[in-house]
Amino acid sequence: MSLSRRSRMLVVLFVLFVPVLVYASEEAPKGGHSAGHGGTPHIPSVVGMLTGNDGPIYHWINVIYAGVVGIFLSVIAITVYSRRKLIPGPFQNLVEMLVEGMYNFLHSVLGSDAKRYAPFLGTLFFYILCMNLMGLVPGGHSPSTNINITASLAIMVFLYVQYVGISRNGIVKYLDHLAGSPRDALSWSLVVLLFPIHIIGELAKPFSLAVRLFGNITGEDVLVAAFVGLGLTALSFMHSPVGFPFNVFFIFLGLLLSTIQALVFSLLSTIYILLMLPHEERH
Amino acid sequence: MDYQAMLAWGLPMGVGLAAVGSALGLGRAVGSAMEAMGRQPEAAGKIQTAMVVGAAFIEALTLYALLVFFMLFGKIGAQ
Repeated sequence: MSLSRRSRMLVVLFVLFVPVLVYASEEAPKGGHSAGHGGTPHIPSVVGMLTGNDGPIYHWINVIYAGVVGIFLSVIAITVYSRRKLIPGPFQNLVEMLVEGMYNFLHSVLGSDAKRYAPFLGTLFFYILCMNLMGLVPGGHSPSTNINITASLAIMVFLYVQYVGISRNGIVKYLDHLAGSPRDALSWSLVVLLFPIHIIGELAKPFSLAVRLFGNITGEDVLVAAFVGLGLTALSFMHSPVGFPFNVFFIFLGLLLSTIQALVFSLLSTIYILLMLPHEERH
Repeated sequence: MDYQAMLAWGLPMGVGLAAVGSALGLGRAVGSAMEAMGRQPEAAGKIQTAMVVGAAFIEALTLYALLVFFMLFGKIGAQ
């Protein structure tokens, strides 16, 4: 007996949706335990459950997951590069699509300098994207929920942007740009005011980068965990071991937000580099 | 009024006000993007990208308020 097209689609959707529901329901009892402790609710991860959410190894959980992301991306890159063929297979095609899409996007912002800065900015995007998505994988934990990880990325971007400014423009033009390009007596008298303002502006950029990424990803993490607890409470009247899967919809929101935040981080870094490059009078 | 009562009053109000401000800003940004897309449908892709990026910036400011909320949330029940 063969099913009609509509019935087949329904079966496929059901088969795909049930594991999501089961995962969401299973997360509820674990999330409910941590919600009872007071403070922000969070869902334990594989490493957390293995180390009992405590102890010396648990302190390094963010580094462990960041390392897992790094190893994952490196393995993909090395595999595709060592087995590259002129006519690509499906996997190589996918990776080439991603890399070329990223390069075209950077080219539309940076112009001819894209080739020089694309490795850094492209890696930044994919690394942050995978780190964010790690939190949505069952049993995973997103390292971007720690301010140290996001701050280290932001500081790296800050130092690289300043290095680009000094190496491409020379130290004199760099300081001249920071002082607001004084040309006549009026501008020179304003240097005392403009110099600190520009420096504070330069320092505010990595700060906002770090806090934006950290706040968004922590917020989405806490949102999912809070709804897991809510689902557990909703079904507690019949002492069920699973909760109602409220959090499914917020995982979709988390998918969207993770991608957008990775894009915003790398796009902002691109724009900061663009502002540092020698440009014609654009002010 | 002790500090816990003031925290319990102030924190949700802070997040609520941040949400109001962000909703106003986002409404204006997305509204102008819609208008621009209506005027020139072939530029819709670029406008949409720019709109998403702008929305992420505005959202970030609301999240600063949420961040402060989470930082102080633990202090409400603490003895």
